[in-house]
Amino acid sequence: MGSNRLSNNLRRLRFENGQMTQQQLADKVSVTRQTIIAIEAGKYAPSLPLAFKLAHTFGVSIEDVFQYENEQS
Amino acid sequence: MSRLQKAAWFNLAMITICIIISIPCIFFLARENAKGIEYLLTCFVMACLVSPVAYVLLKKKSFETGFDEREKMINRRAFTISALCLIIFLACVCTIPFFVLGGQNVIKVYYLPLIFFCSIFTAQFAHSTAILIQCTLEEEDGQ
Repeated sequence: MGSNRLSNNLRRLRFENGQMTQQQLADKVSVTRQTIIAIEAGKYAPSLPLAFKLAHTFGVSIEDVFQYENEQS
Repeated sequence: MSRLQKAAWFNLAMITICIIISIPCIFFLARENAKGIEYLLTCFVMACLVSPVAYVLLKKKSFETGFDEREKMINRRAFTISALCLIIFLACVCTIPFFVLGGQNVIKVYYLPLIFFCSIFTAQFAHSTAILIQCTLEEEDGQ
């Protein structure tokens, strides 16, 4: 059995882009701040359109924001 | 507090008001055994009291369209939980009297509207509570 996890660099990207706050990012991609918090904490895997929106906001590719980890045990 | 949590608290408050208004009216109707014009008048008064609350609850649906995808997912999960609670509640309400009183016994008719209002309350209560619990758990995990 293996477990899948979606990690992300949202927090780092926010700070690299002028210390953007969670609220500012949330406003840019039309979601709530709670959703950004949940994504950053890895508690919520966003939909593909939202993932693309987040990547476009920072001007990077989707792989630079999200990484898929498949841990085999 | 997020918009979803506010909606859940609002929902819970409104449905509680609705129940507080309607259940005494049903008990009054049952106790008085009202018939004819008296019965219609009491039903009219009850409808006048309950309908503004029901209207506000319906209007809330337009508020919910502004939810983002995570909130919609939480809402869908809460709806599934509330449907499950409703089925369990109805199963208990219908089968417990059968086993306790026996198949040949009778129950009073005024229990029927009470079961209806209690079913709505159970579903709404489960829905709102499920939303609030999910939000609280997420906040705790995020800290």
